[in-house]
Amino acid sequence: MADTVVNIAGLEHRYGTTQALRSVDLTVASGECVALLGPNGAGKTTLVNALTGVLQPTAGHVDIDGGDPRRAQTRMRLGVMHQIAGFPRTLKVTELVSGWAVRSGQPASAAAPVLAEVGLSDLAARRVDKLSGGQQQRLQLAMALVVDPTLLVLDEPTLGLDIDARRGFWRTIAEHRDRGVAVLLTTHQVEEAAAVADRVVVLSDGQVIASGHPAELTSRLADRTILARTALDGDALRALPGIVDITYEAGRLRATSRQAEATVRALLDADPTVSDLRVEGASLEEAVVSLTANAYEEVAA
Amino acid sequence: MTPQILAVEVRDELYGIIREPAAVFFSIAMPVGFFALFAGLFGGPSDGPVSNATMMLASFGAFGVISVALLNPGIGVAEDRERGWLRVKRVSPVPVSTTLAAKVAASLPVAFGVYAAMSVTAVAMGTFDTDLGTWLAIAGVLLLGSLPFALLGLAVGFSASGRAAPAIINAIFLPMAIAGGLWMPIEALPQIVQQIAPALPTYHVSQLGLGVLLGEPVLDHVVALLATTAVTAAAAATAYRSSRR
Ligand SMILES: Nc1ncnc2c1ncn2[C@@H]1O[C@H](COP(=O)(O)OP(=O)(O)O)[C@@H](O)[C@H]1O
Ligand SMILES: [Mg+2]
Repeated sequence: MADTVVNIAGLEHRYGTTQALRSVDLTVASGECVALLGPNGAGKTTLVNALTGVLQPTAGHVDIDGGDPRRAQTRMRLGVMHQIAGFPRTLKVTELVSGWAVRSGQPASAAAPVLAEVGLSDLAARRVDKLSGGQQQRLQLAMALVVDPTLLVLDEPTLGLDIDARRGFWRTIAEHRDRGVAVLLTTHQVEEAAAVADRVVVLSDGQVIASGHPAELTSRLADRTILARTALDGDALRALPGIVDITYEAGRLRATSRQAEATVRALLDADPTVSDLRVEGASLEEAVVSLTANAYEEVAA
Repeated sequence: MTPQILAVEVRDELYGIIREPAAVFFSIAMPVGFFALFAGLFGGPSDGPVSNATMMLASFGAFGVISVALLNPGIGVAEDRERGWLRVKRVSPVPVSTTLAAKVAASLPVAFGVYAAMSVTAVAMGTFDTDLGTWLAIAGVLLLGSLPFALLGLAVGFSASGRAAPAIINAIFLPMAIAGGLWMPIEALPQIVQQIAPALPTYHVSQLGLGVLLGEPVLDHVVALLATTAVTAAAAATAYRSSRR
């Protein structure tokens, strides 16, 4: 069992009459990447602010490596990307990043390799206010990495990045996770996050409504459609694990399964002649949407 | 708090002044330019022991030094807040108090530079007549006397937007500067203004400078400025707390 880096228990936050977080429990271990998903207004940024010490929560417990994030010492090796960030316009990229290193007790020389890692070396001498939105996101990533983080907290980090930049971004995050960094991120790029995340936590209306491995979440929470040509008859098909429903389309099987992987495995075992096999179905994104929609119905009911 | 961190904070704030054309114009070029103009017109021999230009180093010098201390930390905080930089900095291990101290500290060498540039102007015009020790002592009291104004600037910076802050600061400072005898000698001002002047902290800074120059007692002015510091520190703290809500 890896060390717990983030430990959140019974976290509540109220802004005036708005209940932004309701009794949230969440842990992140070192070497683990947790993606916090949920619609706008779900409370993701509020959770991030409570975790990074920006905000004093109304109630509950938050610690990073056992330390209170409100204490400066606890934030020494905390790397953060904010949903909305701003920089002084009179500084150059390299000055900002090296200064950020020094503030966390790292040498100023730590800036150069990190700028290379995020692809900002060519812009090192550029004024921060002359960067595009995507470049500013990379600058934030550089600042998050230059503190030699044990924990990365990233709020909508891919906002404003094009596909190529996003791919590079996820690769970088995965590398640091593999080296033992704990990562908590929020994003709307559900499918991309699922490729990196070890665990997905769905937040809706300030509550955790689902949590688990991305594959687990989609398979548990959404039916999948299996398309195939097979010699098996209806009864044999209905006996396969996970099957909910079968129909035929132009002589081709169209089966709905609750456990697509198990169904497919059994189908291939039972019928070596299976051809034209395809599995379609709920993506993680659809699963999240359906989950949060259900949560709203429950709240409304 | 390591010396390296303080150095980075002060460096960032210094760049915030010297790389900002508006800051360079309003808090450096303009006061020095006006000094050159006034010293050229009225800087010659006076009835007292030193030239008018040297007297102006204490009085209009106070204007230059206070301008820097008041404008830069105040506008800087308002802009940092507006841009979201202050929020970004809150997750760093550096406390806000260090950042604010750095803003004030960075204004000191710039303020000294303004005073030095005015002095060089006086030297060039042949109207500089005091010794190095007194000149440095005046610099010292002007810089210390500008601290309550730096706190006032921070109070405005935590309350106003980046765009409004310079206007608000100038609206407070310019009348106070003129009525306090920073632009022209207090004796040359209307009777009513002369009566108001001792209630103004600007008056006490320039009188402190003149007192050091002329060897007159300065205790009253020190006490008045300490009281001002207590008031503006409280205002800055209150503005800071309400900005965080
Ligand atoms: N500073 C604030 N003052 C009042 N309400 C806020 C504030 N910040 C967020 N909220 C409210 O709290 C809820 C959660 O917001 P947020 O944490 O930003 O959600 P998310 O990041 O998931 O979009 C929303 O209803 C939002 O309107
Ligand atoms: Mg958000």
